[in-house]
Amino acid sequence: MIDEDVAETALEEVLSKETPILAEVRVEHTSRRQVSLKAGQVSNLSSFRDLGMNVRVFLPQGIGFASTNRISRGAAKDLAAQALKLAKVCKRPVPLSISPEPAVKTDWEVKQKRPLSDVSMEERVSYLKEVDAGTLKAGVKVGGRYFELADYETESLFANSEGSRIRSMVPRLKLETYMLVSSKGESEQSLREFGASAGWEKAHEWDLPHVMGAEVLMLKKMIDKGKKIKPGKVDLICGAEVAGIAAHESCGHPMEADRILGREMSQAGKSFVSPEMLGQRVGSEYATVVDDPTVQGSYGYYAYDHEGVRAKPRYLYNNGLFNEFLHNRETAASMGVRSNGSSRSDGYLREPIVRMANTFIAPGDFEEDEIFGSIKEGILMKSFTEWNIDDKRYNQKYVSREAYFIRDGELGGPARRCVLEITTPGFWGAIDAVSRKVEFSAGECGKGDPMQSMSVSMGGPMLRLRSVMLK
Amino acid sequence: MSELKEQSERIMELARTAGADDAIAEVIDSSVSQIRFSANRVDASNSWSEKHAIVLVAVGNRTMSTDLRDLDNAKQIVQELVSLAKKSPPNKAYGGIASGKFKYSKGRADRAIKNLRDPSRYVHDAIAGARSEGAIDVGGTMYVTHERNGIASTGGALAEAERAHVRLSVRAFAQPEASGQTVSCNPRLSSLKAREVGARAGELARMAENPVQGEEGKLDLIMEPLFLGCLVQSVGSMMSALRVDIELSMFAKKIGKRVSSDEITFVDDPIMESTSSRAFDHEGVPTRRNVVIKDGVLKTYLHNTSTAKKFKTRTTASAGPLVPTIFTLATQPLAFHPVVLPGGWKAEEIIKDTKNGIYLNNTWYTRYQNYSTGDFSTIPRDALLKIENGEIVGPVKNIRVSDNMLNLLKSIDAVSKTSQEVFWWDEANPPATLPMIRVKAMRITRSS
Repeated sequence: MIDEDVAETALEEVLSKETPILAEVRVEHTSRRQVSLKAGQVSNLSSFRDLGMNVRVFLPQGIGFASTNRISRGAAKDLAAQALKLAKVCKRPVPLSISPEPAVKTDWEVKQKRPLSDVSMEERVSYLKEVDAGTLKAGVKVGGRYFELADYETESLFANSEGSRIRSMVPRLKLETYMLVSSKGESEQSLREFGASAGWEKAHEWDLPHVMGAEVLMLKKMIDKGKKIKPGKVDLICGAEVAGIAAHESCGHPMEADRILGREMSQAGKSFVSPEMLGQRVGSEYATVVDDPTVQGSYGYYAYDHEGVRAKPRYLYNNGLFNEFLHNRETAASMGVRSNGSSRSDGYLREPIVRMANTFIAPGDFEEDEIFGSIKEGILMKSFTEWNIDDKRYNQKYVSREAYFIRDGELGGPARRCVLEITTPGFWGAIDAVSRKVEFSAGECGKGDPMQSMSVSMGGPMLRLRSVMLK
Repeated sequence: MSELKEQSERIMELARTAGADDAIAEVIDSSVSQIRFSANRVDASNSWSEKHAIVLVAVGNRTMSTDLRDLDNAKQIVQELVSLAKKSPPNKAYGGIASGKFKYSKGRADRAIKNLRDPSRYVHDAIAGARSEGAIDVGGTMYVTHERNGIASTGGALAEAERAHVRLSVRAFAQPEASGQTVSCNPRLSSLKAREVGARAGELARMAENPVQGEEGKLDLIMEPLFLGCLVQSVGSMMSALRVDIELSMFAKKIGKRVSSDEITFVDDPIMESTSSRAFDHEGVPTRRNVVIKDGVLKTYLHNTSTAKKFKTRTTASAGPLVPTIFTLATQPLAFHPVVLPGGWKAEEIIKDTKNGIYLNNTWYTRYQNYSTGDFSTIPRDALLKIENGEIVGPVKNIRVSDNMLNLLKSIDAVSKTSQEVFWWDEANPPATLPMIRVKAMRITRSS
């Protein structure tokens, strides 16, 4: 149990010396386990416990943030003094302001059917060996089978000078898989992530022995039978994984308000979007993208953000229009709106910044066979391997991991490494059909300086894009 | 014996007493302050203070590692760790820890950096420098780091080291689509010329004004050290024996073979003075200069004791962190300070000698379709300057380098005489000392 007194001591210390716009304290206790399996054998086992805290102070001249893994009332006082001193260094010419938000007193937690802390290392290793056995059972030559399973439980106390006191407990579980399939002197790689905010029960719901077996069979098929496409304009169907990465990269990131305001300019970059573009068109009427932290069990789940603001769904693109940015309290104030609860940090050592949670394309009302039916010549890109996007989030590239030709509405043979290199309005403007079923995949999103790795998920239904250039 | 050495040894002994056959304890005491700035102003000032120990224990080949954050309860946590190791399945990849009588070099941290209390004046100098060259919007980060490490192992490692450095990163915009990026990495405060760092970012931004759409095709690419540093991140990582072992490396099965043009000698040099110099690796083995590629031929992978045993060779003193870290594989051997040795060209001669090319300031988002073949793309950013007949003729935008990394390495035909240490965010990471290079006939693509 986290000692509330250290948080109160830190707040009292700040308030005894200054009248800040806001002071916040976060105390966190995390227990974490990690197991790696390489070619069926254990290659690493780790177990951690971590307890630490931070103090963040908002003064008109700027923000000061200090953190430490030393916990005591004395350390809390020192940290408060340090954060105050750092805030005074900033000397902003225009006084800082933050959006008004209600004080919240609550507890929240993600329930676990089987707590992660109850699972032995042996059971974790057995689980990974089952995944490995399922992969091998497919009878395909798979080099480099490498699986990393990590899980952690984070108990947190957030307190601020406005009276918020929020306690939380979040368990998260993730698995990263690395595989290289070889056949006939060629190879294809698969790098995948699975994640959830849940207990150990989720690991079995993923059914990974079967999923990984199917994955390596698919890659072998791509090598043995996949044909390169003839570059040109075709109709393209994107599967949920491709829809999800596009939602994350070319909607979620450019709609982060801190990026739009330039706060991340020298690292993750700026955005092609500017505040006055709200209400303008970016895509077709089928382009609705939601970022929703409240999806139960999702890898990006949270109930309150790291500024104590209640989480809610954010409609970033709505029916093809720029609709809503992701905000923390500082960016919200600078644009004259309220925070929509997008402030997150990957641990007590780092300042919270604007982040996504679970970003997905909203479902439509097309059946999947309707989407295929009207395509004379096209490609289904089910999943991707290489991808990237520029720092203003305008030029993106997705290379298929699994893709198929479509002829006269019917799925044909495999197409190998199809390349979609397209602008953001080009992608979102070409959508003319969206299916009903949304599927998610997990990811670790990198942003901030120092880099913060954030648990997120991304997804979507099946999308149909008309007449886009594929190479 | 000094405090950190003593503390490391005490933790190592606790593990041995609890029943560990092998143990390594590395105590890290660090304080980092950072200033983040954008829109010509300081946004936030951060500080992180941590003292913790990375501990590995092995009972036979049953291993367990931890990041021991609560040093006051080290005895209990180490006992639990050993107990957990005893109950764990065997780690077949574990090859023991290095043992021997080790001698360590002594580095000294710059006193001026250790005593630096308010680095904000350097930030203001950098902003002023960029604006003096015509930048309208300047942002970046400045770090001041002071770190002390102590290490002890049952293999005989016992050492302590200290380092301090300042790093400044500046991105300047002269127009919304015209920017320049510069970095400065300094193990000594006296070498930080913040105004000049800012001014160069501003100058690049001004040179990038009014960019035109870049075209697809094959072009010669002149890469600044910063750009090369972003590529070295993935190239250096693929030199790790663990990456080779799991086949996520284009260098697999290529020892003794040509992997780059003969212009390239690639060294991991943690000994030279830099912001990532180290006296010992994470097993406590004294670091050394490893020549990984010599005149274009691959000589070795980077090893810790376990990978070395598997590859039937000796450790290269490249053991990485013993616990998982962000975006790297657990226990991955790694390069601490990559160096590409200088060549014979003056930087301006490389430009003059280029008929049809692009001068590239920076890049990001380097991603591989297939690590085992090296098929990749990367997105150049900041100043991208078209070169025709030896002259810079104007900036371009919206291009991507889509090629093969082995092909890129083999197509390097000019290496500058001068080098620069670069480190930038999570892209040009780890810090590396690199020259400017020219790569012939790389494939450029763009959005349709």
